[in-house]
Amino acid sequence: MSDISYPVVAPGVGDFRGAGGAEPAAQWKATAAGERLVPTHCSFCGVQCGMYLRVMDGRVIGVEPRNHDINKLRLCPKGVVAYQQVHHPDRLLSPLMRDTRDGPLHLVSWEAALERIVSEIRRIQSTYGRDAFGVLGGASMTTEKTYLMGKFARVALRTRHIDYNGRLCMVSAAAANKKAFGIDRAGNPWADLLETEMIIVAGTNIAECFPVAMQYFWGARDRGAKLVVVDPRETAMARTADEHVALRPGTDAAFYNGMLHVIARDGLTDERFIAEHTVGWEAVRDTVAAYTPERVGEICGLDPRQIERVAHLWGRARRCWAAHGRGLEQHLQGVENVLSCINVTLATGQIGRPGAGYGTLTGQGNGQGGREHGQKSDMLPGGRDLSNPEHRAYVAGVWGVEEADLPPKGTSMHEMVRQMADGEIRGLLGMCNNPFVSLPNQAVVRAGYDALEFHVQSDFFLSETAARADVVLPSTVWAEDEGLTTNGEGRVVKHNKAVEPPGEARTDWEILCELARRLGSGDKFPFTRPVEILDELRVASKGGLADYYGITYEKVEATGGVFWPCPTLDHPGTPRPFEGGRFYHPDGKARFVAVEWRPPAEPPDEAFPLRLTTGRTVAHFLSGNQTRRLPGLVEQTPRPWVEVHPSLGFADGDPVRVVTRRGAVTYPALVTEAIRPDTVFVPYHWAGAIAANVLTIDALDPISKMPEFKVCACRVERGQAVDPVPEPPMPPGEHPYRPETTPLGDPRSPTSPQGRGTAES
Amino acid sequence: MPSVAGGIAAVAVALAIYAGSRGLRYFDAALVGYATATVFLAFGVTYRYAVWVSAPAARRYLLRGWQAFFSWRNFRSLPTAVPRSVLGYLGFQTFLRARGRGRWIAHQLVFWGVVLATLITFPLTFGWLAFFSDTASGPGYTIYVLGFRTVSFDALSLVGWMVFHGLDIAAVLVLAGCGWFLWRRFRHREATTGQRFGYDFFPLIGLVAISVTGLLLTFSSWLLEGRSYDFLAIAHMATVVLTLVFIPFGKFFHVIQRPASVGVEIYKRAALERDGVFPCRRCGEPLEAKAFVSDLKQTMDELELGFSEWAETCPRCKRVLRGQAYLDTVKRGFR
Amino acid sequence: MMGTTLFIDPGRCIGCQACVAACRECDSHRGKSMIHLDYIDAGRTAAAMPTVCMHCEDPVAPCAEVCPADAILVTADGVVQEAAKERCIGCGNCVDACPFGVPKLDVAEMLQYKCNLCYDRTSVGLAPMCATVCPTSAIFYGSIEELEADRPGAQAIDVFRFGSAEVRTGCAVVAPDSFTGPAPGGM
Repeated sequence: MSDISYPVVAPGVGDFRGAGGAEPAAQWKATAAGERLVPTHCSFCGVQCGMYLRVMDGRVIGVEPRNHDINKLRLCPKGVVAYQQVHHPDRLLSPLMRDTRDGPLHLVSWEAALERIVSEIRRIQSTYGRDAFGVLGGASMTTEKTYLMGKFARVALRTRHIDYNGRLCMVSAAAANKKAFGIDRAGNPWADLLETEMIIVAGTNIAECFPVAMQYFWGARDRGAKLVVVDPRETAMARTADEHVALRPGTDAAFYNGMLHVIARDGLTDERFIAEHTVGWEAVRDTVAAYTPERVGEICGLDPRQIERVAHLWGRARRCWAAHGRGLEQHLQGVENVLSCINVTLATGQIGRPGAGYGTLTGQGNGQGGREHGQKSDMLPGGRDLSNPEHRAYVAGVWGVEEADLPPKGTSMHEMVRQMADGEIRGLLGMCNNPFVSLPNQAVVRAGYDALEFHVQSDFFLSETAARADVVLPSTVWAEDEGLTTNGEGRVVKHNKAVEPPGEARTDWEILCELARRLGSGDKFPFTRPVEILDELRVASKGGLADYYGITYEKVEATGGVFWPCPTLDHPGTPRPFEGGRFYHPDGKARFVAVEWRPPAEPPDEAFPLRLTTGRTVAHFLSGNQTRRLPGLVEQTPRPWVEVHPSLGFADGDPVRVVTRRGAVTYPALVTEAIRPDTVFVPYHWAGAIAANVLTIDALDPISKMPEFKVCACRVERGQAVDPVPEPPMPPGEHPYRPETTPLGDPRSPTSPQGRGTAES
Repeated sequence: MPSVAGGIAAVAVALAIYAGSRGLRYFDAALVGYATATVFLAFGVTYRYAVWVSAPAARRYLLRGWQAFFSWRNFRSLPTAVPRSVLGYLGFQTFLRARGRGRWIAHQLVFWGVVLATLITFPLTFGWLAFFSDTASGPGYTIYVLGFRTVSFDALSLVGWMVFHGLDIAAVLVLAGCGWFLWRRFRHREATTGQRFGYDFFPLIGLVAISVTGLLLTFSSWLLEGRSYDFLAIAHMATVVLTLVFIPFGKFFHVIQRPASVGVEIYKRAALERDGVFPCRRCGEPLEAKAFVSDLKQTMDELELGFSEWAETCPRCKRVLRGQAYLDTVKRGFR
Repeated sequence: MMGTTLFIDPGRCIGCQACVAACRECDSHRGKSMIHLDYIDAGRTAAAMPTVCMHCEDPVAPCAEVCPADAILVTADGVVQEAAKERCIGCGNCVDACPFGVPKLDVAEMLQYKCNLCYDRTSVGLAPMCATVCPTSAIFYGSIEELEADRPGAQAIDVFRFGSAEVRTGCAVVAPDSFTGPAPGGM
């Protein structure tokens, strides 16, 4: 990758830390005899920090920082303890099964479990049709597994109903990127940030969701960059920002339109870039003309002067960067919100150069790789389109099936849940997801799953969703398998295997291959090692937008990771896909898309006067199945809370009942001035009666089908007592591991959104 | 001053040996090396002890400890405090159990082994304890303590066996405990971090050497008909003498120091009972016993640490106040 | 003077507690964190601040001075070590005398614990675990030259004021160039 010119050394890394390459610093002598270090990456978020696992006697005994190009030794609190999942006492070690839909789970052999699954698949598909059996995947699996999910659904099951949990995570950004750029990829590597002069971060609490990515933002500020944070809460990042734009949840498109209004009005656009590299500016210019700062201030609840200031900061800087996260994307108009942001970057030509960048911050570890290779309802490997006959024919050829046998595109994750309730989908295979926590409107989700005739779920801890399944298959954690993931930058890295799976646990790809064999498609799934899956994937993606053909394990390990597209074996990868203003539409130009702001699905009214928004906290990850069992993280943040402004009249720790049209939960109050008075916040990592999805609305973006997690109407009232935290589910007769130091059901709220201080036991 | 104290202690031990052995009548000349080492030990320990308690904090606690120990009021309000502390804290060392079960068991083995050996060898060396056979060749023996005739026993009985093999039993206990500690020093990352040979290994090696040479003495007289006995006796003496002389300067000094903390224990508990707890100046949460806080402030003043008032604020509030002061006066934000 | 040492910059801290998690991983005190992370502006902002041992140089280690058991060793390189296990009597003098609120006591173990600058790592030239993982370099390990090269406009202050007293420390806190005088100790 010799032609990459961006700086590879982040701030704060001098020679004294001199680690790098395959081994940590040479002087590190504390490695006792018999211990080895396995280089790999984190199991959690889309940053994909490098780390070493310390392995002794077939056990992972700890973690050692790794000077990988992405994270330069740094880790977040989740990354540090990720290894504790491996030998956790709560691991599922053998299959579980229930004999009737409402009977108890009991231990069962793999043979019996697989037999039952296959006969149920056959029964359901022959009785109700192929599409009556659905598959739901996830984006925390390696790319090899996500590829196999799609192939399994379309070749072994031949069902149209496959989707994945990225539907809750990245699809709005993906759809908008596709519309604007013709490709779904971040515009720049994060190291480009160090050369920027002005950063606008919208709807992402980077300090808590992607702590290790912070080094790039702080590095830019050390070099003089201005920072603007758009968020209804004053997050740890927003606290020190040059401008904190505390807009109302659900008004992002109006804000960006307002910004662009000022930029266009004051002649700060890059007319040359617009003329040479874009299509559709006139319509956008005419649209934003109506978004005067005064009007936008009214919509967003902002001081119009702040909109002017931010627009000028952006318009007058030479190199600007726009980043966003779920706060922009999980809306009824999530795709349009993203497009309104892209409009600003395109109008000012701030993309595709060092320091001039754009990108969404992917949530899941393999959020990017997981959506590219065919487990999404409308996609085939290589970012190919399931509705495009040429694409279908190519992939069918790789798979050795008839193009006509490939099912048409299916529906999105939440739509599938509704189809379950309607009896359209009767059986389900779930892997790497926990919709009972992650999907909105829990009652609807439960109703859907309850209506299934047969449900099989694989996981390594018994998730809330797995606890409802008819068959639970014990799968592996990331350290027990190898494979590729693609981080938020579009950089492909490799996870390595550190230890053998415990008990009878099997990798998800082994499970899929075995099921395929029993379903009669064994010849299409002859894989014995992940590299064999990768080799097929490389061919299947060849020539597609997400071209992985040139990416091999060796190449990834020999570099700091390879940026796709990488079409040939000697190709260095593509860190900046839009370099030189080249985009991926046939004419090579980017598209402006005019966006009108629309109110959220459920605007506040008299009965529900406040806006509820949801999000993450640093100590937990997504549905919490991986983190709610790890003692240090539970100690840091033992329970959810509701964040309210002091003007609402509550004191810290008061039981506050949050009520929406869908349900009510009583949380302890965290009273802080760092949130808008008209907005309340609840973190979403917990399950059952205290889950945020008791409250959230299942309105979907019409384009991306992403649910509107970030805003719905609510009211708060004084509650009786805070609702207790339920124990994590366990197989019958077993109790979850919980050391004395981490008591469950602590009714107090944390001191700060990041958790409880260390001295507050 | 510490040298004078050391000298007095050495002379006192010498005199006690002379008197206790009835003018050396019960003194075993073969043990003269041990006796001499003990006199040096007395000097070293007392010297070191005197240096130690001349520091303000230690002196104050020594004083408070003895005050608490001899306080009639404490005795009435907490009559069982002293014996319970001695037994639970010094004897069974329950606080070590909290630090780890293996460590606790191993330490107990070493501790009781050393206690047993000390109770036998020191009086024996000083001539305070002597065995004389009732007849020319046994098996009946009589024990003389400080020259006074006490019990008689049959050397072939179980009791007799235990009396004569008391040191062997002690050696086995010590070896078992030291074995665990040595294993830990080689294998356990907690122990290998920052360990020093002189401080951490030497004491263990000393104990092992004493135990092994002692056991070999028994082995020699039992199976080798006394062959190599004289050499082994000298080797054993050498290990013992070296270890004894080392006591004041290394890790073993905790054996001398630790009992003093019983007084501190009782003092803190009694002080809490007497005049209650001092609440943190900022958050009002209980900090420590009132007397403890005022004693600490005095100690800090004597040491000329100019911030003794700060001791009235709890650690967390100190940090939070420092953080707030940073936000208010250094910088609020990133720059 | 300041050699290679820890620099704390509360302005960069995001309160994520990676340092706390990393400290728990140390082989010499698995499961126990020696570092403190406090939310110093609760109710108003998300501000946070980590506290490591500052390794006081003048006066030398008040914690060691008030220790009645001579349990706290200051090594030749100026590192104030945690209490020696066999000596510490768990009295708590160091806990309340420390001007920075660093040492803590395990009551059941009758033992003090405190940050020792990751002596197992720093003594062989590696950065302490907290500074290694810190995502924001709010805890930075290196020389003052490296710090200043990375952060234009920043200086390090190694003197703290507590009332009328001043304490000079082995670790330092980061301040803007414009700031003068000792850092406030909060007293």
